[in-house]
Amino acid sequence: MSWLPHDPLLALVFQAGLGIIACSLLMLAAVFLLRLRLVLRLRRERRHAALWRPLLAECVYAVPETLPKVPHDLRYHFMKLWNHHHESLEGGARDNLEKLARALGLDVMARGMLQTSDLRLRLIAIITLGHLGDRQRWPELRALVSDSSPMLSLAAARALLDIDARATLPWLVMVMAAREDWPLARLVAMLKEAGPDQVTAPLVAALQAAGSPAQTVRLLRMLEVAHSGPAGAAAARVVRESEDPEVIAAGLRLLGDPRDLELARVCAVHASWVVRVAAARLLGRIGEPGDRRLLACMLGDAHWWVRYHAARALTVLPFTSLEELEKVRLTLNDRFASDMLAQAIAEARAR
Amino acid sequence: MSGSIDWVAGLQWFFMLYFIGINSGYLMLNLLSLGSLRRYIEEHSLDDLPRGISGFEPPVSVIVPAYNEEATIAGSVRSMLQLNYPDYEVIVVNDGSKDGTMAALRREFSLLPFPEAYWQRLPAQPVRGIYRSTTHPSLRVIDKENGGKADALNAGINASRYPLFCGVDADSVLERDSLKRVVEPFLEDPRTIASGGTVRIANGCSVDNGFLASVGLPRNPLALLQIVEYLRAFLFGRMGWSPLNAVLIISGAFGLFRKDVVVAAGGYRRDTVGEDMELVVRLHRLHRMKRIPYRIVFVPDPICWTEAPESLRVLKNQRVRWQRGLSESLTMNLGLLFHPRGGAAGWLAFPFMAIFEWLGPLIEVAGYLFMICAFVLGMVSGEAFFTFLLVAFGFGLVLSVSSLLLEEMSFHIYPKPGQVAVLLLMVVVENFGYRQLNSLWRLWGLLLWMARSKARWGEMTRSASWQTGGGGGTK
Repeated sequence: MSWLPHDPLLALVFQAGLGIIACSLLMLAAVFLLRLRLVLRLRRERRHAALWRPLLAECVYAVPETLPKVPHDLRYHFMKLWNHHHESLEGGARDNLEKLARALGLDVMARGMLQTSDLRLRLIAIITLGHLGDRQRWPELRALVSDSSPMLSLAAARALLDIDARATLPWLVMVMAAREDWPLARLVAMLKEAGPDQVTAPLVAALQAAGSPAQTVRLLRMLEVAHSGPAGAAAARVVRESEDPEVIAAGLRLLGDPRDLELARVCAVHASWVVRVAAARLLGRIGEPGDRRLLACMLGDAHWWVRYHAARALTVLPFTSLEELEKVRLTLNDRFASDMLAQAIAEARAR
Repeated sequence: MSGSIDWVAGLQWFFMLYFIGINSGYLMLNLLSLGSLRRYIEEHSLDDLPRGISGFEPPVSVIVPAYNEEATIAGSVRSMLQLNYPDYEVIVVNDGSKDGTMAALRREFSLLPFPEAYWQRLPAQPVRGIYRSTTHPSLRVIDKENGGKADALNAGINASRYPLFCGVDADSVLERDSLKRVVEPFLEDPRTIASGGTVRIANGCSVDNGFLASVGLPRNPLALLQIVEYLRAFLFGRMGWSPLNAVLIISGAFGLFRKDVVVAAGGYRRDTVGEDMELVVRLHRLHRMKRIPYRIVFVPDPICWTEAPESLRVLKNQRVRWQRGLSESLTMNLGLLFHPRGGAAGWLAFPFMAIFEWLGPLIEVAGYLFMICAFVLGMVSGEAFFTFLLVAFGFGLVLSVSSLLLEEMSFHIYPKPGQVAVLLLMVVVENFGYRQLNSLWRLWGLLLWMARSKARWGEMTRSASWQTGGGGGTK
């Protein structure tokens, strides 16, 4: 072609440049088309939501008698709307929402979506099956708990808890302890939803069978949503037997029985500052007036956090007024200890 | 004569291949971003369901360094106190402001002196006083001698109580759930040590009570051009590196870090103007050298909005400062480059940054100058000259359009089709002068860095027109 550079290499680069510009124009067109599609989709979704919101809200009282059909391409949008209502409402309203869902065939729809490769559809399907309490999908959901995707597996675990927490928890807590890719904050939230009656026994059993310090720490953190009595007893056992500072510190957080006071006093002089911090906090919860001396010694600790929690513990210890502490502060020779106690007293006054 | 022709032809091909190379590199990043952005959106598709926040997220210390921010500080802090997050504290560090920043804080938040046992873990200028708000218990103010942004951040870290800290620019406008978004990577993977999100341009948007009320486009053409630039920088400039664990920049406007890791690394360096990037590159280097598993993550959600310069002078100052910051960050951590344990950060991201971002302006400006001069002097054929221009502009265009395409496929922040049309126009326009001007400013920054002249924080002048709520732009 005559308009191409004569140098073959230059001609190649020139053609590449033209190709790139053609690509840009195609992408420009794609941006326009995507925006057009978005505008049309949002318009449909708005109309769909306007139709369904009043019907879903009616479920607070009863299931509406006549229900419109959910178009195939709006099933994701509808499921999200339905789940939003399900998670916002409680009691009888939820039952009505589930009846409405079954009348619409939402369970069948969700089962179909579970088989797709689209992660978005699979996630919403799993959540929906959980909310519907669909026991027939138990084997599939249980298999999904082992999936390598943390999002998918965690959603499946949550769905199983929604379907039957009592049957799920005994084995699920072991998985929760072992799967480090499951965020602890999410697990604790899930266990809290299940309630202390359901989670306490399986967690205590799992703690006894925990294989590594990391698993033990995770289980101890989860036990924070369990009944304090059994959780504290199990944690005290772990604290006595373990030598791992992280485990001991996590265990001390769960203690609250005055019988654990001796354990707190022993841990207050532990070599690890993490343990000393946890012991100071525990002394603040269950300490006696006699522990004032120990805590005052801890004010001179080399670590800032130990000094801070010892000072805070002193301000919450029974039978000790802030005025008395102020007098104690004036007798302290250690400037760091004195400054820290001044801060804790100011914080206590601000509370 | 033939010797000089070979020399000219060699240079011509060098510059041509350089432009092809840099842009192909960005296109590869674009492809990487496309995949990870899609996966991210799918994985977080249910985040807006009511069960989203668990209440067990780790507490965060939000650190706000402030220097001469009298006009905007109260509004900014008020918005930061209303974030949608279960447990956090706000620490404002008044870095020896010469205006009424401290007085404004005292007046607006009823501050009282607080006898805090300040823990000097990181080097920072002396603290003049620590104050606590009587109306907002989670707010504390550190009043200290001037020492620069890095120094103020270090002082904030020293005073912080929580295991994660988030450095936020005092003039940033945040999304209500911005903290929740950047904390996600820390929840998902305990190896995460830092995360940052997308920063967008606030000019033209309207802000109500410290939060973004509606998204608009500015009337100022410079600000409009920067919108396209930010899209390119964040959506694939950073998103592309994230799956490789090679993100080298987390914007100082909003970045979340694990405190113990930053303290162990020595905190922010006070002898650089690019303290945000330097810290991230240093964290990569230290973790790689010590073989400590870690992750530095980029979250694509738009979480923070910032005011872009609307005058050439201020924009030039900003770009010069950024280039100096980049130069300092890379040279202070040269040990990461091609280190056997450097991983993707040392073997891909660092060399990429060094060749295309750090030395890029030098080669780009030299390339343009050489081709123009050689063409005028008849040393390069018209065919070669126009091919060079075609490649330079063509690649520039494809990169900008692709960033807009990514935006359209993901967040579509700009709601009106007219706004998208304006941005598409900017995508074309920026290739005719704006990009070349930027290269010149960056070259100037590079030369200033080489001359080791001093730079200071706080040179940015802001109009904050969006803070009035009017937006001052097209909607």
